[in-house]
Amino acid sequence: MAIKLNLQRQSFLGADSETVLERSRAALVGLGGGGSHIAQQLAHIGLGHFLVIDPDFIEDTNLNRLVGATLEDVGLGTAKVDIAERVIKSVNPSAEVVKRLASWTEVTAELRGVDVIFACVDSMSCRSELESFARRFLIPLIDIGMDVHELNGEFSISGQAMLSMPGGPCMRCMGLVTDDGLAKEAERYGAAGGKPQVVWPNGTLASVAVGFLMKLVTPWETQKVAPLLLEYDGDMQTVTPSNKLPYLPTHCKHFVSPHELGDPFWTVEALASVFFS
Amino acid sequence: MRTILKLTSALYDDLIRRLREPHDFAAERVAFLKCRPALSATSLLLLAGGVHHVEDGDYVDDPSAGATIGRSGLRKALQTAYTEAVSMVHVHLHEHRGRPGFSRTDLRENALFVPDFWNVQPSLPHGAVVFSFDSAVGQCWIPGSSSPSGVEVAIVGSPMRCTWKVPNGY
Repeated sequence: MAIKLNLQRQSFLGADSETVLERSRAALVGLGGGGSHIAQQLAHIGLGHFLVIDPDFIEDTNLNRLVGATLEDVGLGTAKVDIAERVIKSVNPSAEVVKRLASWTEVTAELRGVDVIFACVDSMSCRSELESFARRFLIPLIDIGMDVHELNGEFSISGQAMLSMPGGPCMRCMGLVTDDGLAKEAERYGAAGGKPQVVWPNGTLASVAVGFLMKLVTPWETQKVAPLLLEYDGDMQTVTPSNKLPYLPTHCKHFVSPHELGDPFWTVEALASVFFS
Repeated sequence: MRTILKLTSALYDDLIRRLREPHDFAAERVAFLKCRPALSATSLLLLAGGVHHVEDGDYVDDPSAGATIGRSGLRKALQTAYTEAVSMVHVHLHEHRGRPGFSRTDLRENALFVPDFWNVQPSLPHGAVVFSFDSAVGQCWIPGSSSPSGVEVAIVGSPMRCTWKVPNGY
């Protein structure tokens, strides 16, 4: 018999909240420091369906921040998707976890069917491509990112969490993706060395990201509209609505054409093969 | 395989507002969602990108139905499907809460006119959806199939509203 999570303490989320969460489907793209935190929280809140995607195996340098990973995993070289599945199932054995040891671009058919995508990826180009995909299939995308910068011989931690809602402002509208930034990233392509990453900023941003989802699927109040972009100042330990928010367009100026919706390679044969096979 | 109609909450709000506007003689208004299809691993997705509204003059005064579209109105809808290469989903609103249902007239007329869109877009699915204030049901005609399959509806916004998550209304 399947063991059911007791969600009594979050019943304020609404009479139907348990059912809604149980029937909701989220994809986590990237299961490193941010994604592993989100997976754990989504398991606790009772999300029913997970699609976890990451092509990587754990390394010893991941252990400072990858939630659920153990020294034994490092020794075994466990896949990050396997660690995520183990964490989720250990909290909620009833959850369905579809895991893909792959890049998200290799599992787009599955990704099209989710209710929401969590983007926990490192590069601007990857988050930009993922957002384009999400817009094409009318999927809300929740993105988190953090960085450690060196300033005058000291270090500064910052980051952001944002909700990209189809029809609303996108990452380009918010200035998180720019042509200049993409060009600079392309110049650095292949440069050796990992970026600095630590567990607590990831945890803060992951919690904000899960909050975005909860406001979408089980809103506990309807009067307050949550900001779409929250900025994290790791030095001051604050999360605040971005100063850019009052200047954002109501509607996105970058994803406007209805031709950018749906399958660009649609064929009736593909439809027939799945419907009548 | 499920069929899911997805539309943004902005498009939905505009659609419902227009459907509720009074007409000189028609008891209700109808429109068509212009959709582009996609397949996911488990579903056929109909992704709505706009609305083809039926103009006031294209309704026929027919007391036997809430709204009847004349030949000119149907021709314009067919033209939109052809020129914009879109799946057309006929929509109307039942002004109540809870799960709506197609009337016998709806079911009979859907079966007659929805497959007509294959005359102009034979490779695309087409359908019909009836909304209530907090739910929806629909039918979809898949190319190659003579009978319709059911349609579930997701309104993408904050909050997300999906007909399959809460049985009696989102």
